[in-house]
Amino acid sequence: MNGPPWVEMAEAALARVRQSGADYGDVRILDTITQSVRGEDRRIAGIREGNSRGIGVRVLYKGAWGFAATSVLSLEEVPKIADLAVEIAKGSASLAIEKVRPAAEPVHRDRIATAYRIDPFAVPLEEKTRLLLGLMEVLHRQTGIVRSSANLWTQRDRKLFVSTEGSHLEFDLLALQGEFSATAVQDGRFATRSFNSPHLRLGYEFINDVDWLAEAPRVAAEAVEKVRAPVVEAGRYDLVLDPEHLSLTIHESCGHPSELDRALGYEANYAGTSFLTPDLLGTFAYGSAHVNLIADNTESETLAATGYDDDGVACQKWDIVRDGKFVGYCTNREVAPKVNEVRSRGSNRADGWASMPIVRIANIGLAPGSSTLDDLLADVKRGIYIEGHGSYSIDQRRYNFQFGGDAFWLIRNGKRTHMLRDVIYHGITPEFWNSCEGVADRSHRRRFGFITCGKGQPGQSGWMTHAASHALFRGVDVIRGQAQP
Amino acid sequence: MKSPESKAWPKMTGWDEFHFLSDLVLEHSTADDTFIALFDQHGGTTRFANNQIVQNVDTRRVSYAVTAAFGRRRGTATTTDLTAGSVQETLQRAERIARVSPEDPEYLPPIGPKQYLSLPTARPETAAAGPTRRLDYAREAISQCKMENLNSAGTVSSAFAAVGVAASSGLFAYEQRTDARFSLTVQAGEATGWAAAAHRSIDHLKIQERTLTGIEKAKRGADEPEELEAGRYTVILEPAAVAGLLTWLMWMLDAKSLYKGTSPFVGKLGERILDRRLTLRNQPEHADLLGTGFTGEGLPVFDSVWIDDGVLKQLMYDRFTARQHKIEPIATLESPCLSGERPAGGRVSDLIRTTQRAILVTNFWYIRTVNPIDLTLTGMTRDGTFLIENGEIVAAVKNFRFHDSPLRVFNQIDAFTTPAEAVTSETGKVLVPAMRIRDFNFSSVTKF
Repeated sequence: MNGPPWVEMAEAALARVRQSGADYGDVRILDTITQSVRGEDRRIAGIREGNSRGIGVRVLYKGAWGFAATSVLSLEEVPKIADLAVEIAKGSASLAIEKVRPAAEPVHRDRIATAYRIDPFAVPLEEKTRLLLGLMEVLHRQTGIVRSSANLWTQRDRKLFVSTEGSHLEFDLLALQGEFSATAVQDGRFATRSFNSPHLRLGYEFINDVDWLAEAPRVAAEAVEKVRAPVVEAGRYDLVLDPEHLSLTIHESCGHPSELDRALGYEANYAGTSFLTPDLLGTFAYGSAHVNLIADNTESETLAATGYDDDGVACQKWDIVRDGKFVGYCTNREVAPKVNEVRSRGSNRADGWASMPIVRIANIGLAPGSSTLDDLLADVKRGIYIEGHGSYSIDQRRYNFQFGGDAFWLIRNGKRTHMLRDVIYHGITPEFWNSCEGVADRSHRRRFGFITCGKGQPGQSGWMTHAASHALFRGVDVIRGQAQP
Repeated sequence: MKSPESKAWPKMTGWDEFHFLSDLVLEHSTADDTFIALFDQHGGTTRFANNQIVQNVDTRRVSYAVTAAFGRRRGTATTTDLTAGSVQETLQRAERIARVSPEDPEYLPPIGPKQYLSLPTARPETAAAGPTRRLDYAREAISQCKMENLNSAGTVSSAFAAVGVAASSGLFAYEQRTDARFSLTVQAGEATGWAAAAHRSIDHLKIQERTLTGIEKAKRGADEPEELEAGRYTVILEPAAVAGLLTWLMWMLDAKSLYKGTSPFVGKLGERILDRRLTLRNQPEHADLLGTGFTGEGLPVFDSVWIDDGVLKQLMYDRFTARQHKIEPIATLESPCLSGERPAGGRVSDLIRTTQRAILVTNFWYIRTVNPIDLTLTGMTRDGTFLIENGEIVAAVKNFRFHDSPLRVFNQIDAFTTPAEAVTSETGKVLVPAMRIRDFNFSSVTKF
């Protein structure tokens, strides 16, 4: 790597921060390499390898924040950036009403690296493009398929975090993902079916271990079946939701409302606030007794399990909803004391060197129950089984939601029958989770990563993983997607 | 296109420097085609909530991308480091990728030299604005809200960017751009009011005026909102709400999807899709829009008509699909203005005054596609939803979820105003009218 040593630059910045008399400061230097291989309609539409390097300096001065960042990594530039961060913090302090007093955290000195067998950047591009082109050829063998996509994505983050408190953390993190889809056309309609090897912190073995080519004919056939399927009849249905689908439901209706900064109004102008206000902590019946939502930033291979967050706080595991009751928030060092917590939950993350860290959703997952998927289906007279992600929207306090899906099957008398199309369900978050009547066991558990969770101004993309087993929900309002004239 | 630099530090990439770096790459390139794209931005955002600063950032970020192609084999590499060694290493990475990339049957070499509109895309007052100016504006908004005993959250941002493209075909374009934004949410208990602005000039953000708008909205909603049943209502959509629907319509104008049969506009090119009074144009030279001289591929931006008297006239073409269909030149739509014949006035109040009963919608939030075939969308009303009766706002109402298609909604228009500036957190900046619309479908109600 070119340029001056990172530690030297980081210490130069910290020295300026200390000289300023600031309460606290930290420095993050990152070198991020992102490779994407994008296939579309039987062709490789693009291969891109991005390299982003830079430094961000965060300063707390008289209880107020300042942050400055640059992609110019030089010993001349870095002190200027540190001075700018101090000046900005002083400006913020002039309007401070309630001073920031970060929750205490031990000093950490550590090195964290993703464990992997096969370095995805060492896998020849020819191997990747061959896989994607082969996949798309298989998809197009199915009569009725008119469009396809197949993508591989991987990212490596090398990061140094140092703080005026003495923490020194080095990171070498990997993440990757693959996906493909097929689109069928029939009678002027079109429908897409997808397959996802979701974002996880693993090596290329994650892609090799899934037989994509074996999955492709099923995906293509289901795209055709979906476009030909009857439209759903609006009404109340029991829903059995698969883990991939639930990952998005959890993200939107539990993850975001459990971010304490939202509950305290920090996001009021953009992402919104939360119906899970601090007065509800420990008492609110968020869901039924089957609902246990656990934040776990210590589970290996998951996106938020980075060892430490961007406050330098060690990753942890805690309850968000226990036996249906709302009991915990995602926090950082700034907001944790506002709900009388003595330590941050370690959920403060930035999406790169140029961003100031903010509270992000943890790896929140639905704890397994004791049923099997067949048990859940058997208990449904008239219902819909939903797989994958589709349309999604939720109000800014996270009450009123609406979800679609990637594929839908009618359940009749305990059996999954034929596919349906144009299925949309909507509801109110706590009413929905209180209608949960069963969760499948650990053998059904799967994990899905998110890397485009939008929040903050300027906007940032948050990374986290949501795990779940299949779950059953009673009497949910289902409508047709197509607008009625 | 050459324009003087206006910042002392950080030193942004000037015309000469971009030219030098481009020549360096082009001279060392062994590829058949080489394309270079620069985006060098310095800017900052002051963010406030609960009437104090919660985030105050200043960032300089460079992106330098090189695409190399051997025949139809193509690869792209990017860097944030503009040193000579780094840009050459970036070229080498792009070439390495291209050599092993499969042939892309849709690959086209970079376009040749073009003439571009010379637009005042960079305003010196915005380029010169730094953390102090942003803080002053934030203080102004916060102070007004505090005087009313209201809670404020918002942002003030400003940015200066040097943008360039160059290619082995002789293409070269460089432009400096500025961008200033203000957005504000005012909270009065459970009620919220909202206002936003975006402009090339930071002097045009009208902080005081827009803060008063947000305050007025929040205060109107401060009484306990009525809960109305979901159903079909006459609505008055303020410009930001119209922008939310229109933006999704514009995003779906992709030509390739239409020709592949996966677009809501299949069979509709040349047909009437909207109320016959409406016309959608791209107006890069409009002083209140954020027009640019060229696109990311170096295509010239120009004035164009997309929907003419309600008839769909234009699609968004990638270069390959444009060549297939003999489309030349390729129109772009980054400065949209939706206007109509015989507007009912210039202000939302002109529509309210003549309305017997309707729901007034300030803004929509979290708009997403529900059914891409007929472009059914869903989303929530946000930051000021009111009941109008007999020409007056009579009550705040709880927020609704809508479930409708702009292709249906924009054919149910009773009346509209002249176009006004609209910018939301989910859309770019557009000029659109406020509209009164019949039978708008609200499918459910939320708790606030």
